[in-house]
Amino acid sequence: MIRFSKANVTYPNGVSAMKDLDLEIDDGEFVVIVGLSGAGKSTLIRAVNGLVPLTSGELNVNGNDVHSLNRTGLRELRSDVGMIFQGFNLVDRTTVLKNVLMGRLHKVPTWRTLIGKYPQADIDIAARALERVEIIEKTYTRASDLSGGQRQRVGIARALAQEPSIILADEPVASLDPPTSHVVMRYLQQISRELGITTIVNLHFLDLATAYADRIIGLRDGVLVFDGPGSKCDEAVFESIYGRSLTADDTMAKQAAL
Amino acid sequence: MTTLDNGTNSTPAPTLPAKPAVSMFAIGTAIGAILLTIITAISVGFSLGEIISNFGRKNSVVEGLLNPDWGQIWSRRSRSAFIETLQLAVLGTATGATVALPLALWSTTFGNPNRALRTLVRSFNNVIRSIPDLLWALLFVTAVGIGALSGLLALFFFSIAVTTKLTSDTLDGIDMGPIEAANASGASLTQMLRSAVVPQILPSYTSFVLYNFELNLRASAVLGLVGAGGIGARIEFFRGRGDWEKLWGLIVMFFLVVFIVERISVTLRRRLI
Repeated sequence: MIRFSKANVTYPNGVSAMKDLDLEIDDGEFVVIVGLSGAGKSTLIRAVNGLVPLTSGELNVNGNDVHSLNRTGLRELRSDVGMIFQGFNLVDRTTVLKNVLMGRLHKVPTWRTLIGKYPQADIDIAARALERVEIIEKTYTRASDLSGGQRQRVGIARALAQEPSIILADEPVASLDPPTSHVVMRYLQQISRELGITTIVNLHFLDLATAYADRIIGLRDGVLVFDGPGSKCDEAVFESIYGRSLTADDTMAKQAAL
Repeated sequence: MTTLDNGTNSTPAPTLPAKPAVSMFAIGTAIGAILLTIITAISVGFSLGEIISNFGRKNSVVEGLLNPDWGQIWSRRSRSAFIETLQLAVLGTATGATVALPLALWSTTFGNPNRALRTLVRSFNNVIRSIPDLLWALLFVTAVGIGALSGLLALFFFSIAVTTKLTSDTLDGIDMGPIEAANASGASLTQMLRSAVVPQILPSYTSFVLYNFELNLRASAVLGLVGAGGIGARIEFFRGRGDWEKLWGLIVMFFLVVFIVERISVTLRRRLI
């Protein structure tokens, strides 16, 4: 379970990206966070695995008070939280398998990492992750030779290889075209449902959010302005989250039609 | 017939904004550089005429060049000196470049979050880099005596300096995304560097190591002059005796070896990047 209470994040440059946030996310939930860019979506997601520290307030993830964790504790927490990025963050020069094995680093002794010889059990876990996102035939392909959608599936496989209880996805489809975006979103939804992994996804396309989310959280200027099921989220709600009327840029289908 | 107005001749040309003044700093620097060159040439007593008249005079060094002793190429002693030079270059490069990789990684902000430690590593790298190869050789000849060991130690430190510097520059331009991904997955610092950073710089690093090997091969010719072993010791021996024909024979052989090694190295490096 993830619980924010009176959580605040203020960056050194004075920007306040999270204001008095109270939020509880249960195990196995599929949550989509929406809001304009700069609304604090990335900050919220990065707070969960401690990449962005809270300025004040409390954050509890799976029974750990994130703020009080030392370096080792933080690494342990992060090993239980998979992360998927907008820019995929793969090592382009190396193979798909080596990229996915990055998800096993927390379990592999350092000397084995240094010589690049991973235990068979970890390779098996990586193979299962690749199979789940149906890209196992690309195991020995260099990451740079993949298409955008394939890269993001490798990104998902890397997160899955951690065998996490939580997956954080920061704008996972922002660099992809609409059909590929749906493929990636379906994988995320399927994984969350079948493996019971709590999943938090940042999106800025409203139609994608309502299509996949069990629960939508709306942020505006670092403040939580909406929290409810995807079905309750209509245009009026989105207009209140965005603080303006909707345009074609806000939905993927309409933007694609332009 | 209608003509398209392309805006070049029919309309008056737009007035450009005022031209910025020529930088007085640039003019001053250029004049200063020219003056400095002239002053130094006068003060060291440079004279073109002297060089020409010296060449015209009977000169045993130049005569040796016209008549090199090809026999040196097949001489047993010269060959063993060459093999020693190659061994020095290989060992010096391998050991130095191995130490250089972690030194380069630990001098970056992501590879060494501790500020004090990072400053320490960077200062160490700077000190090593500021000492030229010949000075290293002199130091070690004094410290551990005449011979190949001094040459090896000199090349070891010289290689650390070169490869660390080149690798650090490459590290400045790498993709930070994989680093964030490794950190987010709970990897340790060493694991992050090995799996997210090293694969990105490996081709460049290998190329730098090969380049470093070329430098070491050339440097080893000079190291022998101060008693640090290798082919240089033999060059110095012939020079001392005034045996110019043999000396030039040796240099021709050295040129051939360096040329061949360089061709191989350049071909390999081109395939790497």
